[in-house]
Amino acid sequence: MKRKNQRLALLLAAAAAVVAAVLLAMSALKDQAAYFYTPGDVARQGVPTGRAVRIGGMVQTGSIRRAADGVTIDFVVGDETPHTIPVRYRGIVPDLFKEKSGVVAEGRFEAGGRFVATEILAKHDENYRPPVLDANTGEHKSRSLK
Amino acid sequence: MSHWPFIAGAYAVTLVATVGLVVASYAAMRRAEREAGTRRDSR
Amino acid sequence: MHAFANPARFLKLARPLTAWLGWGGGLLVALALLDGLVLAPRDYLQGESVRILYVHVPAAWLGMGGWAALAAASLMQLVWRHPLAAIAARAVAVPGAVFTAICLATGSLWGRPTWGTWWQWDGRMTSMLVLLFLYAGWIALAEAERERSGDGRLAAIFGLVGAVNLPVIHYSVLWWRSLHQGQSIGLTGTTIDPAMLWPLLGSALGFTLLFAAVVLMRMRALLARQKVEARLRRLAA
Repeated sequence: MKRKNQRLALLLAAAAAVVAAVLLAMSALKDQAAYFYTPGDVARQGVPTGRAVRIGGMVQTGSIRRAADGVTIDFVVGDETPHTIPVRYRGIVPDLFKEKSGVVAEGRFEAGGRFVATEILAKHDENYRPPVLDANTGEHKSRSLK
Repeated sequence: MSHWPFIAGAYAVTLVATVGLVVASYAAMRRAEREAGTRRDSR
Repeated sequence: MHAFANPARFLKLARPLTAWLGWGGGLLVALALLDGLVLAPRDYLQGESVRILYVHVPAAWLGMGGWAALAAASLMQLVWRHPLAAIAARAVAVPGAVFTAICLATGSLWGRPTWGTWWQWDGRMTSMLVLLFLYAGWIALAEAERERSGDGRLAAIFGLVGAVNLPVIHYSVLWWRSLHQGQSIGLTGTTIDPAMLWPLLGSALGFTLLFAAVVLMRMRALLARQKVEARLRRLAA
């Protein structure tokens, strides 16, 4: 019985040490491991122009403009801060790319502050529900259990 | 873009892998238990 | 727990249980996937592609659950020297790896029509790929150790250490901004509509039963092989 407890204590101590080390490494990585920068991040830290980065946020309502050539698209990305980033992209966007929806864009900042994207990805949230229209508001009604 | 080819692909991958896993595990178990003679229906 | 220290007693229970779990799991999976594929509604935003949820999420849970079981068996082996623990760990590794691979493949097939990409190196996807590599490494290590007639202690330590990846996978969507969305099912509720939640839970339970049946089959195979090897050693002596 004694040896068993010894082994258990030793293992638990080792496990605690490993977990602590990993958590420490993870929290140190927190900024590097972020998959994209939000407009708030960019305003706060600044991102050098000409370097390939990813930005992400919500496509602002009414901001999507399609150019006459049919493939160039302009829109504005925002987040919970008042900062926004104007984005230009030439190409086909995913089906889920729409206003008030999440987006991640890969590309570079131009000197003027506009972000020129080489790739556009749509980011959706964790809600899953059928397409039900609310008769009163015409809005999609949330029927989640939260 | 139609989503159905992607759905069919995902379900096919899942079913082929799951069925393959079950069949392979079952066959290995039968073979091993026959060799060990631990099944009543062997020998 | 030591009631099952005797393999004969374990086998007496495992034999009928294998069939029950296997057929029950298969039937439940068939019903749940039919529900998910035909009856469940499409999503307000993702459309039909949401049906991949019913295979992707159970595979993810089982890939992670498999390593949790492997780590638990490793702990039992190292601390209590339970004779069946090493067998259980070896039986869990391959199905765990298979479901992790299913999760990655179906996730890729889901990402293309929704996000617009097959693969991105975001936190969730990268940590899940790491899990698959951990399984591969564990299987290779356990096999090498067995060939040198070791007692599997190295593999058990690896199994425990590798478990730190599980919280990393879980929190990857919370700690870091990721392309993958946050969690939909938490302790306090869910953001999945009931019409979609039920086929998901049915499918998850069905695949879990199938997983358990496969683990029992593999444990029985390993025990039978062990018996043959012991007999051969006796003959050689």
